[in-house]
Amino acid sequence: MFTTATAQTTKPLKRLAVHATTTCAEQASVYGKCILATYTDVRKDICKAEFDKFGRCLREAVRVQLSILILFPQYSSICLR
Amino acid sequence: MNIIPSRSLHRFRLFRAQTRAYAAISSSGPSPSLTTHTLGPFQVFDRETKRHQKDQAAYKNGGDSSRTVDYMRDEVADRIMERLEDIKRKFNTIIDLGSGSGHLTKLLDPNTTQKCIMIDSSRGALHRDPNSEFDVDVERIHADEENLLQVLEPNSQEAIVSCLSLHWVNDLPGILGQIKEALQPDGLFLGAMFGGDTLFELRTALQLAEVDREGGISPRVSPMTDTRDVSNLLGRAGFTLLTVDIDEIKVAYPSMWELMDDLRDMGESNAVIGRRHMIHRDTLAAASAIYKELHGNQDGTIPATFQVIFMIGWKPAPTQPKPLQKGSGKTNLKDVL
Repeated sequence: MFTTATAQTTKPLKRLAVHATTTCAEQASVYGKCILATYTDVRKDICKAEFDKFGRCLREAVRVQLSILILFPQYSSICLR
Repeated sequence: MNIIPSRSLHRFRLFRAQTRAYAAISSSGPSPSLTTHTLGPFQVFDRETKRHQKDQAAYKNGGDSSRTVDYMRDEVADRIMERLEDIKRKFNTIIDLGSGSGHLTKLLDPNTTQKCIMIDSSRGALHRDPNSEFDVDVERIHADEENLLQVLEPNSQEAIVSCLSLHWVNDLPGILGQIKEALQPDGLFLGAMFGGDTLFELRTALQLAEVDREGGISPRVSPMTDTRDVSNLLGRAGFTLLTVDIDEIKVAYPSMWELMDDLRDMGESNAVIGRRHMIHRDTLAAASAIYKELHGNQDGTIPATFQVIFMIGWKPAPTQPKPLQKGSGKTNLKDVL
């Protein structure tokens, strides 16, 4: 049971899902509110600044997680919740 | 007043003659389709992809993933059973069209029918569960739901039921016509399909994300049958004594990601012809954020709406009750009210 759960969370898309909803929830919310404020007239890159912050947080989160994994593989179960 | 030179007039006439010829060609042939390799009714869904998705879903983790997401089909099957129990008739055989793993067949008991024939285009889903899980005799036929009359004789069936399968059929008027053909006179059709506003939250979140991130949209969620059209479709197929009603089921998910995982495990991933096969990670992350802000619940979860259209129709028979002639009423409504 434990091994399957870990195997699933190491999938790249699963990692993205975890970070988009937990680690970077704050930036996601700011971006979502920006779209919410303009959703009757959405154009390309209308919330670019907000998304850039969100995207940066996501990339950062993935990178940090990966480096911890490489340095301390014994913590993988904590890291890959 | 402008005088048009005769040469340009001539050219204009030539052009008109040409367009007319094209119009005549397209109206006499089968209805046009977006894709060149298909003929006949408008093709919206890629049936081969859909079959593959359902097989994959049913085989994943030995069927356990698929069983985890049975909640939707089991719920709708339960609601179909409520309607079936209202019909005071005992059947010898019922056809479960697009049965999946037999969610509806499992609820049937020997008081309703002796035997049930499950028909599905996905072999994996059809054979997922063993016979011991069913209370009635089951027969499984692996066949395309779109070509029902290839496996059933006309005028042969007492009842055909369908639980959440018809929303992947390209030619809905055609399949309803085939169902009516396959039924005996006074035979029953009872079906449920997704339609109307199903998954509108996911549709809008993905569209907004795609517009903002990529500057355009593509079909991510199937076009749905309008609930108001269903009774017309049933009438057109030749059913009588119609009953159509709509149930809305709202499911709360932790986030858009779990919703998409569950849809995939149900075998309900996108199978629209001409869809884009990949989705950018940025677009997905953006959609997840938009979904939550635009539609999210107070408690941090997100809702997904499923609108289920229930339809009941009977094949006409002389023995059925019919409305009286107009003007034949003897009692004045004024005296009653």
